[in-house]
Amino acid sequence: MYGDMLDLYGDSGNMEIIQYRCRMRGIDCTVDGYSLGSEIPDLSKYDLIYIGGGADLEQQHISADLLRCRDSIKAAYESGVFLFLICGGYQLMFKYYRDADGNDIPGLGLFDYCTVAPSSRKMRCISNIVVRTHFTGKEVDIVGFENHGGQTQGVRTPLGEVLFGNGNCSRSKYEGYFEKNVIATYMHGPCLSKNPEISDYMISYCLKRHGSDDELAPLDDRLENECRQVMLDRLLKK
Amino acid sequence: MNRILILTGKAVVGILRLFRRNAGNLPGIILWHLTKGKACSMFRVDCPIIAVTGTNGKTSVTNCIAQLFEQSGKKIIINREGNNLDTGICSLLLRYCDSSGKVDADYLILETDESHVPVVYSQLKLETLIVLDFFRDQLDRNGEMETLIQKINGFCKTFEGNLILNGDDPNTARLGRANPANKNVKYFHAEPYAFATDTIYEASEGRFCPFCGSSLEYDYYQYSHIGRFRCPKCGFGDYKPYITASGIDLDKPVFTADGHEYSTKLNSIYNVYNMTAVVAAAKLYGIEQSVTDSVINNYTVNNGRMEKFILGDRETTLNLAKNPVGANMTLRVMNEQNGEKELLFVLNDNVADGLDVSWIWDINFTIFERVTRVVTSGTRAYDIAVRIKCSGYPAEKITVRPELDDAVEELAKTPGRKFVIANYTAVQPTRSALKRYIAKHGGECGE
Repeated sequence: MYGDMLDLYGDSGNMEIIQYRCRMRGIDCTVDGYSLGSEIPDLSKYDLIYIGGGADLEQQHISADLLRCRDSIKAAYESGVFLFLICGGYQLMFKYYRDADGNDIPGLGLFDYCTVAPSSRKMRCISNIVVRTHFTGKEVDIVGFENHGGQTQGVRTPLGEVLFGNGNCSRSKYEGYFEKNVIATYMHGPCLSKNPEISDYMISYCLKRHGSDDELAPLDDRLENECRQVMLDRLLKK
Repeated sequence: MNRILILTGKAVVGILRLFRRNAGNLPGIILWHLTKGKACSMFRVDCPIIAVTGTNGKTSVTNCIAQLFEQSGKKIIINREGNNLDTGICSLLLRYCDSSGKVDADYLILETDESHVPVVYSQLKLETLIVLDFFRDQLDRNGEMETLIQKINGFCKTFEGNLILNGDDPNTARLGRANPANKNVKYFHAEPYAFATDTIYEASEGRFCPFCGSSLEYDYYQYSHIGRFRCPKCGFGDYKPYITASGIDLDKPVFTADGHEYSTKLNSIYNVYNMTAVVAAAKLYGIEQSVTDSVINNYTVNNGRMEKFILGDRETTLNLAKNPVGANMTLRVMNEQNGEKELLFVLNDNVADGLDVSWIWDINFTIFERVTRVVTSGTRAYDIAVRIKCSGYPAEKITVRPELDDAVEELAKTPGRKFVIANYTAVQPTRSALKRYIAKHGGECGE
């Protein structure tokens, strides 16, 4: 949703990666775009809803429109559609987002957390980031790049533990938000580019909803894994 | 006090020179600390100051404008080494001022980093500000682009001098409304060239009206979000151009601006925009046409911007790309070449590049035509390899060689036409690696 407005820091790459990983396995995958002001589609018919990140100005423009879509998004989420949310998309799902000028941008209130912008525009969490996760059932360290002013508070089920970087708040211990059908994170990069486990978790989840319990066919992820390893070695070396 | 500070600064410049070090930033940094960030206010500048800012093209435009005045017999001061932050500008002025801080010149022509415009020109009186464009560039260092534009917009609210703006970039043109009382706002604009498109071709910023939020309507896009735009709701974009470039033919290459034809050495649409800004400055300052001709028609660059090398017998073009727009442009030039070709992409993530490399995902690699092999290198060699692979390019045709010399050897081992794209801190090491290859195996360097 809002791919034409919320695609800061290469976030649209995430959809390119999901499509790529489906295509390589012969799985049909269609991506439709929803733009500000368009007719609200029945979002429950989809397998995954993706919202990326944008600048404050863009988030202001879309927040009113997003409220218009609230019922459709909520119904989709409750029926099990996967929500994949990056940065601004992550922030707009909570109760409210207070921007740098002190204006409250109402969020969807889907989840029980809120985000406050720092009083100074200069204070931003900008860093490479490493997060240790267990959502696949195994321990996986994922790598991305965070660039956010917003400080997110009150997350009870984070995506993982921060090994390097900031996370939900400046120097916080945890990053992102997780439910079985929700992954929300501040990680740009784009996030899926060197963390194939996240893409595959979402693809498997969607296939299971369609009644398929087959294991995903493995792909040649040597470049992706090497890419992540270079960063892990660099960032976590003692 | 002033005099002591100036002399201290000059002494630092002197000592650095003694040790044959480039006095780029350090004297300015020292003075910056001594004056608590007000280093530029130490100087007395009586001559007009012309500043050039924007994401892409600053160096070219600054150099050309300096040449306009130099060839008109004026005494100018310019930050040629591209030291464009407040500390760099301060170091430059230290070198040219007397002990009282008085700077003696006819014109100061200063390339100025976008985020430093308000800092520097709250301390030095600016006569003309030229703003070329705003693209995503090193976002993690500058914060979001909107913040950057807001900073310059804040400066423009009280600025009454000449404001020369790229009228085909909504991010830039919006500055024209910052101070409604300023009668000296001027726009430059270019008519569509052969590769202009009806729809947007590359990821970009600013597709929405900054004043009312409506989608902007475009007659055409030249590249990225640059093109003739208009807000259907509030009329943003309705302006009368001061200079219009027309008759753009990049094959010759020629273009006409203000009714006069120029034939240039460089053949990119970027160059047309940059030179149109130069024509605007020339018109504003009443430069002789023969001087403007000589500057624009002879301007060329040799710093990794479409620079030619021959590796053994393989014709090679190196281009700097520090943001998606630069990279997309090189890919277009590559595609416009017939025959098979190979690409080396060198990607670093040093501080000056911006630590965030996610901008590579805004490069449109699906347009690859007849690209038979890709080699990647640099501190983020794997990131760019993954990016190209996920665009659908066959993984088996991608070779990762993080070490530059290995990468150049790899690139040159097969025959055919070669292209090299390198980002900011990668460009000079890449040139050196290309030259080392040529020294070892033969060939020719660009110069």
